[in-house]
Amino acid sequence: MAQMAEDTRERWLLGLVTLLFFVFLIVPIVVVVMVSFTSATYVSFPIEGVSLRWFYRIVEYEPFANSLWVTLKVAFMSTVIAVMVGVPAALYLVRAKTPATEFLMALLLSPLSMPMIVLGLALLFYFSAIGLGISLMSLIVAHTVVGLPYVVRTVAGVYRSAPPDLEESAVILGATRWQIIRYVVLPQIRPGIFSGAMFSMLVSIDNLPVSFFFGSPSTSTLPVVMLSYLEHQFDPSIAAISTVQMSIALIGLVFIERVYGLKHLGAPA
Amino acid sequence: MSGQNATRQTAGTVPRARAVARPWRLMGFSFMIPSLLLLVAFFIVPLVFVGEMSFREGRLPPPGGGLWQNYERLFFDSFYLGVIGETMLLSVVVTLICILVGYPVAYFMVRHAGGKLYNLIIFLLIAPLLTPIIMRTFGWQVLLARRGLVNEWLQSLDLISKPLALLNSPVAVVLGLVHVLAPFMILSIASVLAGIDRRLEESARMLGAGKGMSFLKITLPLSMDGLGTGAILVFMLANGSFVTLLLLGGGSLQTLPLLIYQQFNTTRDLPFAAAMSNALLLIAFICLFFQLRLIRRKGV
Repeated sequence: MAQMAEDTRERWLLGLVTLLFFVFLIVPIVVVVMVSFTSATYVSFPIEGVSLRWFYRIVEYEPFANSLWVTLKVAFMSTVIAVMVGVPAALYLVRAKTPATEFLMALLLSPLSMPMIVLGLALLFYFSAIGLGISLMSLIVAHTVVGLPYVVRTVAGVYRSAPPDLEESAVILGATRWQIIRYVVLPQIRPGIFSGAMFSMLVSIDNLPVSFFFGSPSTSTLPVVMLSYLEHQFDPSIAAISTVQMSIALIGLVFIERVYGLKHLGAPA
Repeated sequence: MSGQNATRQTAGTVPRARAVARPWRLMGFSFMIPSLLLLVAFFIVPLVFVGEMSFREGRLPPPGGGLWQNYERLFFDSFYLGVIGETMLLSVVVTLICILVGYPVAYFMVRHAGGKLYNLIIFLLIAPLLTPIIMRTFGWQVLLARRGLVNEWLQSLDLISKPLALLNSPVAVVLGLVHVLAPFMILSIASVLAGIDRRLEESARMLGAGKGMSFLKITLPLSMDGLGTGAILVFMLANGSFVTLLLLGGGSLQTLPLLIYQQFNTTRDLPFAAAMSNALLLIAFICLFFQLRLIRRKGV
């Protein structure tokens, strides 16, 4: 009996800590969403009235709209390349059993463990040296390097749990290599490709430390423009554009949850 | 986690034997080539390039500066040494707070939250990871402002008489970083906690250990791997972060990423920025080394 009482007390105590933690986690985000609907000309909380004026402001303020377009273009293009390059690599690494596979997998995932500011600086130096300089193309390539590990990791995770028996049966039944990949492997790993691509895009959209080095009127992404805006002025338009950006990410997250399940994402890195 | 690995390993030996008997392979090494080309051309070579750059002459060559001049400046100048120290200290503090805050949450989530609540917690942990980093920083700027919510609460509780200058202080930076990084810690600890055989704790209890004793002697040591993985990850991410420092620190803390940003933005001393970037990379490599050792140990 005493033990049960102890368990209940532990549950309530830990539950309280957990609740407080999530309040801490959520409040700053909720505050920004609320500020984005303020009618005041300055940032204040609690807000004084409700209006959509700051959402109009971000439509009017050209750098925001332009950079949002750049951001989406870069996120999409870099993800397409990351998928084309990363999916075959993940397929090979899961089924191949050579001593090098472990090393190759570590290599493909290594951009994840790199301080992003280091990567950004390195790529900028390099692109300037080889004459590509600051361009949309170099920004897309930089984001591809960042997004590739996400694609490889999710696709490898899904493919690893798919038994090789189906492929073997297909061989025995006389299917060609490409038929097997097209009709046996691809349908099984589709959720992995989809979620990996989603992650790659979301990470690209919010990337600041790499994009920062590629700032120019035609290549500044949304976070870069937001940062330089914040460094000079402090008004609710940042809240409004943040709310828009978060909505995009949340829709992506709901998609991932539907297709792949967030439970599989338990262990990061 | 270790149990899972064990089964995976024993399972792994069987297909290997089969692979020998089966020369046919669906995917050849050619599948790797595009990704290897991409990484060599746009990841490895650029890093080597920065390595070379860091040995060039900087803007401020010390008298008689040789090949290592930028590194000498970084590691022997008391200002820059202080910056490196501050970077590490901040990361250590943030990591410790993340452990203290994250462990109870991970424990609650694994042991006391079932089904729907568990899924909700996972969602709530991952959703903030995808909210824009600028948004979270901006949220803290609003909350910690001189006439912001936090100061008003503290005043209405009579804890302080005048509003505190919370913004642009180390306190704001630590709050902001814990806010961003604690979910990583919780997910790492939870994934290991979930794999602990609860019969071990029950045996300890039956043999007369109290709740606290069985936690200290059984649960905590068994969850050390998750704690270690999370700590290395948080430390590494804290070391490299700069948006939080830039917007919440307001110059009250000087760290390596912040200095790189400034060198690039204002001073334009690229060789020196390259040297600092390599120092940061070295710290990341050391972390990675420990991380790999942890993973290896788990596999055995």
